Amino acid sequence: MQPWLVNYFPILVFMAIAVVIAGAMLGGSLLAGWQKPYAEKLSAYECGFEAFDDARRRFDVRFYLVAILFIIFDLEVAFLFPWAISLGHIGMFGFWSMMGFLGVLTIGFIYEWCKGALDWE
Amino acid sequence: MVGQLMNWQIALPEIVLAGCGLLVLMVGVLIKKQNSAQLCSMLVLASFLVAALLSLSAPQDVGYNGLFTLDRFAVFVKILVLIAASLAVVLSLDYNTHHGIARFEFPVLILLSTVGMMVMVSATNMMSLYLGVELSSLAIYVLAAFARNDVRSSEAGLKYFVLGALASGLLLYGMSLVYGFAGSLDFASLRAVFTTETAQLGAVVGVVFIVAGLAFKISAAPFHMWTPDVYEGAPVPVTGFMATAPKVAALAVFVRILSMPFGHLLPQWQQLIVLLSIVSMVWGSLAAIGQWNIKRLMAYSSIGHMGYALVGVATGTEAGVRGVLVYLASYIFASAGVFACIIAMRKKGHAVERIADLKGLGKTDPMLAFLLMFFMFSLAGVPPFAGFIGKLYVFLAAVQAGMWTLAIIGVLTSVISTFYYLWVLKQVYFDQSEGAFDGRAPSVSFVAGLGGLVTLSFFVFASPVVNAAEAAARALFG
Amino acid sequence: MIYAVAVFAPLLGSVIAGFLGRVIGDRASQIVTVSLMVLAAICGDVSFASVAWGNAHTGVVPVFDWISVGDLHIAWALRFDTLSVVMVAMVTTISTLIHLYSVGYMSHDSSIPRFFSYLSFFTFAMLMLVTANNLAQLFFGWEGVGVASYLLIGFWYQKPSACAAAIKAFVVNRVGDLFFAVGIALMFFLFKSIEFDNVFGNIQAHMNATYHIFGQDFRSYEVIGTLLFLGAMGKSAQIFLHTWLPDAMEGPTPVSALIHAATMVTAGVFLMSRMSPLMEFAPHALQLVTFIGATTALFAATIGCVQNDIKRIIAYSTCSQLGYMFLAAGVGAYQASMFHLITHAFFKALLFLGAGSVIHAMSDEQDIRKMGGLFKKIPFTGTVMWIGSLALAGIPFFAGYYSKDAILEAAYAAHTGLGTYGFVCGVVAAFLTAFYSWRLLILTFHGTPRADKHTMDHVHESPFVMTFPLGVLATGAVLVGLLFHTMFIGDARDAFWGAAIFNGPTNHIMATLEDRSMIIGLLPTLVGVAGIFLAYVMYVLVPGMPRALATTFRPIYLFLLNKWYFDELYNAIFVKPAFAIGRFLWKTGDATIVDGVPNGLASLTSYGSSRLVKLQTGSLATYAFTMLIGLVALISIFLWVR
Repeated sequence: MQPWLVNYFPILVFMAIAVVIAGAMLGGSLLAGWQKPYAEKLSAYECGFEAFDDARRRFDVRFYLVAILFIIFDLEVAFLFPWAISLGHIGMFGFWSMMGFLGVLTIGFIYEWCKGALDWE
Repeated sequence: MVGQLMNWQIALPEIVLAGCGLLVLMVGVLIKKQNSAQLCSMLVLASFLVAALLSLSAPQDVGYNGLFTLDRFAVFVKILVLIAASLAVVLSLDYNTHHGIARFEFPVLILLSTVGMMVMVSATNMMSLYLGVELSSLAIYVLAAFARNDVRSSEAGLKYFVLGALASGLLLYGMSLVYGFAGSLDFASLRAVFTTETAQLGAVVGVVFIVAGLAFKISAAPFHMWTPDVYEGAPVPVTGFMATAPKVAALAVFVRILSMPFGHLLPQWQQLIVLLSIVSMVWGSLAAIGQWNIKRLMAYSSIGHMGYALVGVATGTEAGVRGVLVYLASYIFASAGVFACIIAMRKKGHAVERIADLKGLGKTDPMLAFLLMFFMFSLAGVPPFAGFIGKLYVFLAAVQAGMWTLAIIGVLTSVISTFYYLWVLKQVYFDQSEGAFDGRAPSVSFVAGLGGLVTLSFFVFASPVVNAAEAAARALFG
Repeated sequence: MIYAVAVFAPLLGSVIAGFLGRVIGDRASQIVTVSLMVLAAICGDVSFASVAWGNAHTGVVPVFDWISVGDLHIAWALRFDTLSVVMVAMVTTISTLIHLYSVGYMSHDSSIPRFFSYLSFFTFAMLMLVTANNLAQLFFGWEGVGVASYLLIGFWYQKPSACAAAIKAFVVNRVGDLFFAVGIALMFFLFKSIEFDNVFGNIQAHMNATYHIFGQDFRSYEVIGTLLFLGAMGKSAQIFLHTWLPDAMEGPTPVSALIHAATMVTAGVFLMSRMSPLMEFAPHALQLVTFIGATTALFAATIGCVQNDIKRIIAYSTCSQLGYMFLAAGVGAYQASMFHLITHAFFKALLFLGAGSVIHAMSDEQDIRKMGGLFKKIPFTGTVMWIGSLALAGIPFFAGYYSKDAILEAAYAAHTGLGTYGFVCGVVAAFLTAFYSWRLLILTFHGTPRADKHTMDHVHESPFVMTFPLGVLATGAVLVGLLFHTMFIGDARDAFWGAAIFNGPTNHIMATLEDRSMIIGLLPTLVGVAGIFLAYVMYVLVPGMPRALATTFRPIYLFLLNKWYFDELYNAIFVKPAFAIGRFLWKTGDATIVDGVPNGLASLTSYGSSRLVKLQTGSLATYAFTMLIGLVALISIFLWVR
């Protein structure tokens, strides 16, 4: 085995454990669960859409709004990870930069809250 | 890294302005009153004033690891942008109330767009440039669709967004090509890499992509297709804003990017700019003739005007840049003035926008007709109005650079364009009125009056403006 | 500085009356413009006094930078030297009086603010002209007074004749202005500056510069001097370009007095004096000036003798007197020329305003054949008209006596062929001047009334606001010559004028004025008295004589009555051919070529326009596609060019 592949061994282990756990969960529910299937139950759940249908359909714009808001905060978190890891190297300046970024996001959050974008109705 | 940060003050105008924007947003959303739009507009105007003062007084230097530069060129353009944005906000006061779109987000969006433009003109790195372009564009996409109950406005917003995204993609693709071949995004390093001998084909194709992306922003033909539709559909103050501030900023970026990082590639890009300029001038003047809607007319007019301004860019000389700056200074006032007149076009409470609706204005509202005449004359380049002086400096630079063809085509197309400006005035002064307009709001009269005053008296004050433009141009070349 | 106040106060008045006139009303517009003019006049006169008696330092008052393109640097500035100050004082004083007079004269007009705005604007432009420190600013004022004159001649735009006269004045002036502009351009190319100080400082450097035109060399100064004079001819209505001035009488009478007698028309004379450092080195150009001036003086006087319209007589008289001023400038006696300009301003404004008062009294009748016997009804107007005529005729100790004598003596003292020609023309013209002045006075004020009874019953003296300016001007017409002749043309002249007027090293004409025989000195006065006597004989003693003369010498009479047929001549030479060419172009050119080629071009343009518009489909995909096509085109062109 080449030595550089050794570095990836933990990942292999990780994947193996994942497969085992997932298999155990699916298998367990299959074995132990009470099953009474019918058509509605068997269809995939997709936020109120038909799973397999023409893509050019009207849908409620509120889904869109939620998706957009989700993406913003999703990206915020994605941005937080590298920052958290390198915080030791970038010092106070790095810290306050992120605080500024979060502050701007917070203001956006307050705005959307007050405008009622988070209410479904 | 911290050493370079010592002069973070050079971005103080942008920082303060952005902070003010957030603050105004909070004020607007928290007080929840009916008149919050008016209050926020006033606050935004005040922040513009503060930003202008800060721009004038902030230390001029390079900072942020070369990402950001404040020089006299940037200051000159920023002042123009701030003036144009302020005029748009003032114009919106009456229009938005009347059209039921008086929401406090409007001035905030204009402010954010303005911040983006200020970053654009100060950017000395492709990355900060792109950030500025996107910030300014995104806000304008929303503004174009601001009257969301109006189908035409939504359509305008959507069209602008899709095409803008395409242009943005071209810009980004060009930048990545340049980065791939030069290994840097910094303007100063690029300048060192791009000498005529060493430039590879791929990198220069990247330059073409960047030019195309920016040409979209200034609506130079053949990247102008969005302009008439968007101008027509968007609310008038937004159109007025789009016709002035982003054009000024994008042209400034044009000038900076062509003279700084790609300055040595002059022989390569000159032909491109000449072509863009000629096509824009011809297209702008020809297609305007068939228009009956005054907003579409102004769209073609602005395409033509960008063509004239590109004449100055095409020379690639200090005199050319000076010409562009003087031209822009003269252009924004006349343009804002025309849009003020368009807002004043309202009969029995309904906005009208046919040129034929202006018939007999000379009798029903002589003051407005008089101002409109100033603007039309200025746009047509009739001496002694501001537009004439702008054209004079641009064409002068072209002649000095030996670009006779360009100058001659420019003069010919201005003659053609004079036709439709005069045609508007013919309707104003010689045709029978079909009913007078409603009374003007003071804010509209203010913008029209200010525009008229500046347009008329520009030749008297030309010297300080020209001197400032010359100093600004020298900052790029010297 | 008060000097700047004198110049800009009229502008302020004009702006207020012009833009706010409708808001603030007639009365307020009058008050504002008149009081600002009074302020300007006080400042102007104080400036004059400080130069004349107070030894104020001359110099330049900078206002701000104006144009800066390449070598061309132009700044707004007010030149403060004797020449400017004299003009400023004269213009503000006369203009103030005429503003005041207009309050009464125009009281029944429907657009009073507009009138006062124009009048103040004119004053401002004139002040700009005389205080200019460079030729560009002078040209600005030059065109400004032209515009104001156009607006004021056509003030009653309902009258077609007024509109026609306004257009005629403008067009004829443009002919002169064209030469003037070319002259300025040549000066700029020669001196690389049009700032007076730079030009005059470098006169010696370009003494031998020449232009090669039509295979011959011409000295630059001669060419420039001639061009400037051609410009001056248009503005000052000298022969060949004089035709607009009589027609300009269509304007309101105060306008005639201010613009077409006292100030604007003298701008050409002022230009000659201002450019004296250059003109002195252009002897041939000066000969032309002498010739044209002398000829105009005589020519206009002959026409004045047979006219019947009271204002036209005075208009031709103005033309003639301007000829005198050019005659003086031509022989190098700029001081005398300026002196006559000032005295003339007083007595000619007086005559015009007096005529206005007569017209006012006669219910807008202008034909002197229908007047007569008015003196008893309007004694004050009659008296001031007498005073003005005495001054005009050069009767001793009235203003005109000093200046006109000086001019004729200078012409005689020049001892050149043209100088003698000028002297002879001047003397004959002086005789005719006296004759037509008294013809006017006698027919208007004396003898039996020829107007119908209804009109005569209405004759009344004008209100105080009109008679007051007349009184002041009459005082001026009596005293100005007496008070100032030592300063302008006498022993104190060098100290007074300083460097403002330049006499060449060989030009001693001012010093030799007094060295002439007794008879030459007395001649102008004698012929003046003779002219008065002749008028008395013809119109009082033997009233049948004019008619007899007119029938006996019918061709000459008609020749004069029709103003030497200049209008007809120009009609035949310029206007008709222009119309003919126009008609040819219209019928042949327009119908075939314009309807063929350019109409084809125009339809091509509109066709192209409609094609381009069709490209604008509104479809997003088309737009994006166009952009990409454009990009591909750019890249391929770029690769191809490379």
